Amino acid sequence: MLGILTKSLRTGTLTEAGPFGGQASFGFPVMDFTRCVACDACTRACPTGAIRAEAVTPVLAHVLTHVSLSYAACIQCRACVTACPEQAISVSPDIEVAAYSRDQLARTASFDVNPVTGRGTYRQVELAPGLSLADAAAQLKARILGRLGRSLHVRQVDAGSCNGCELEIAATANPYYDLERFGIHFVASPRHADALLVTGPVTRNMEVALRKTYEATPEPRVVVAVGACGCSGGLFGEGTYAAIGGVDRVLPVDVYIPGCPPRPQAILNGLLVAMGVREARVNR
Amino acid sequence: MTEHAATVAAALHVPAHTVREGCPGELLLEVEARDFPVLADHVSHDLQGRLLSLFASDDRAHTGQFRLHQVWSLPQLHTFLLLTAPVDPAAPAVPSIAATHPAANWFEREVMDLYGVIPEGHPNPTRVALHDDWPDNAWALRKDFPGEQPVPRATGDHHPFRPVTGEGVFQVPVGPVHAGIIEPGHFRFGVAGEPILYLQLRLFYVHKGIEKRFERLPWRHGVYLAESISGDTAVGHALAYAHAIERLGHIEVPPRAQAIRVVLLELERIYNHTSDIGAIATDVAFTVAASRAQALRERLVRTHDLVFGTRLLRGTISVGGVRRDLLPSGRELLQTRLRAFETEFEDLFGLLVDAGTFTDRVDGPGTLTRQAAQDLGIVGIAARASGIDADLRRDHPHDAFAGLQFTVPVEDGGDVRARLMIRAREIEQSLAILNQVLRVLPDTPWAATLPDALPARASALGWVEAWRGPCTHWVATDDHGALTRVKVTDPSSLNWPALVHVMPGNIIPDFPVINKSFNLSYSGNDR
Ligand code: SF4
Repeated sequence: MLGILTKSLRTGTLTEAGPFGGQASFGFPVMDFTRCVACDACTRACPTGAIRAEAVTPVLAHVLTHVSLSYAACIQCRACVTACPEQAISVSPDIEVAAYSRDQLARTASFDVNPVTGRGTYRQVELAPGLSLADAAAQLKARILGRLGRSLHVRQVDAGSCNGCELEIAATANPYYDLERFGIHFVASPRHADALLVTGPVTRNMEVALRKTYEATPEPRVVVAVGACGCSGGLFGEGTYAAIGGVDRVLPVDVYIPGCPPRPQAILNGLLVAMGVREARVNR
Repeated sequence: MTEHAATVAAALHVPAHTVREGCPGELLLEVEARDFPVLADHVSHDLQGRLLSLFASDDRAHTGQFRLHQVWSLPQLHTFLLLTAPVDPAAPAVPSIAATHPAANWFEREVMDLYGVIPEGHPNPTRVALHDDWPDNAWALRKDFPGEQPVPRATGDHHPFRPVTGEGVFQVPVGPVHAGIIEPGHFRFGVAGEPILYLQLRLFYVHKGIEKRFERLPWRHGVYLAESISGDTAVGHALAYAHAIERLGHIEVPPRAQAIRVVLLELERIYNHTSDIGAIATDVAFTVAASRAQALRERLVRTHDLVFGTRLLRGTISVGGVRRDLLPSGRELLQTRLRAFETEFEDLFGLLVDAGTFTDRVDGPGTLTRQAAQDLGIVGIAARASGIDADLRRDHPHDAFAGLQFTVPVEDGGDVRARLMIRAREIEQSLAILNQVLRVLPDTPWAATLPDALPARASALGWVEAWRGPCTHWVATDDHGALTRVKVTDPSSLNWPALVHVMPGNIIPDFPVINKSFNLSYSGNDR
């Protein structure tokens, strides 16, 4: 007993005062569209289709092409960074990424591609469809107004994950991150929960259980999708015989936390976004 | 013809020339399906073989037939033996070996569910991988099954739970959504008061169609999918996949890469074992020790992050080597951090085993006897905690393990304490291994140059002793050298029956800690 006490005193406090602002050697890829020539090096290197190039319409002799990069499906593998012959993709150390819709996690630019050389000329960055981050933040806040904000009870649901996301979710409770000091608690039943923290590409075999869990959660239930899988189906795809895909294919999702897996800070950040305490941002 | 092939041929009473050499360390024998039961008996009794996987493949496009494959480890000969037999699609059935080799139980039923090949004479031929709402006659891994579209839900009752009758006897259903931050699965307990009469499992809630997905991926991308078979075994599975591809494609992995792979694999073992030890403490409400273990584990994953740029060691393995070199600065940092870890871990472990309140809870529950472990074909840490001396790193050395000195800890107790002790002793061994490897890394490249394409119509086995136990990947290519079948076996698939077996006689309040002491992967099992 004495030993435990002295050890505890010697250890002191491990909890980090400010868990945010930390930087990773690789957060997410950032595309400099002005350098991009719309070749297909990165789209072929990407294992999840997070980077796509789509021919939209032929414009005179050129093909109007959209190139888009979505963090919703990014597994942070860095393959695109090395694959790009134009060095148009760089690395962002920022990890506290969250959004209120899938669309907000993507950036798309249009190019005129010469069908003979295959090279494209940059035109412009396209406007993302749907609400802006600020408008979406206001909408969520209005929905939870007066009910959440100082504390959040969370029921975690693994709807098909590889368990990588669970490892990082569990880490948010360790002495370094200590999410309880933010008023966030993991609870054992959806009936005690304000929010569902859902991982995985929702599998065919978990869909029913996920829906039931949602139905058992009292209003205003907030749904947070975690991980490349939860945001988009990730490596496992969408609409296969076994994987339905992103959580939003089954439930309305309020907050998306991309990453494979997202780091503990990113998950904490996303939970605080779900409480309306922080505002989601995609790029610093 | 090698000596090993001759030994195998003699033991199985087959002509010597029929036992062929596959990739190094792999013997192949083409048999008739009707001979499986007899051969399996010979392999296990006369060659001390251990069944590590059993699966089917759809070869109808070429030979007009399905094929059934069995993967046996022959530890004494340091070689694997692959038995394969054609199966006629007009009457898709093979004689079951599950009654005498229970390790085949779930595998055979999975083959039935996903290929429609019936295990004749199976003691319990019910669905295992398919849930009740899966339609009949839809076999997902057959080549003509459209895997890229949803399947309509049917109704059915294919998983009747065993009824319990009598006064005070009732069922307790748990899951699939559990109370903690863990993976989903359904447990059904039959109890008489607190004591458990039986446990039945229903898994495959997180079946993601991984094996089918592999068949659509370029082989270079397969390694990413392999990392996500079970997130806590990212290195283990990525490495098993890489091994299979490298062996199939005759890709030489440079010695430096082999050494770095050992570093990664042992780091994965250490962080998982540490976290499990903490989780066992959590489940007996020893919170001081639990949070110390969590802090220790967090420091480990932060060290990974500093050295490799990834907390859970994802994105470190590539086909042909590793994704990034281990620089001298990283090596030194690892050495310093591991030394600090060693002292703190000893401290933590002392705290646990000296606490009577702790040992009272871990001595005895969930005992898996040596005989049961042997009969059920249990592998990895769970087997070694029950007196079975098997470890692929020593018996079928991969990467740089052949040149390293380490022992394989074995415990006899078979209970929660024994599984805890195994983890602690393995951490000790891993540290010794890391010590040797980190002293000096071979001065070679850290990745091989890859061929443009893999050989056509070839196959190979890849294996790794990961932290939980053996991970195996069997990979086959088609006419164009593209992936046509990847069979993934996580040790959890072999070990879930152990949990079912040990529960009767234990009490429900001990279930969490017993379950944790096995800590099996749902995702690795369900895929
Ligand atoms: S996002 Fe990545 S870590 Fe999370 S469940 Fe999916 S594959 Fe696993």
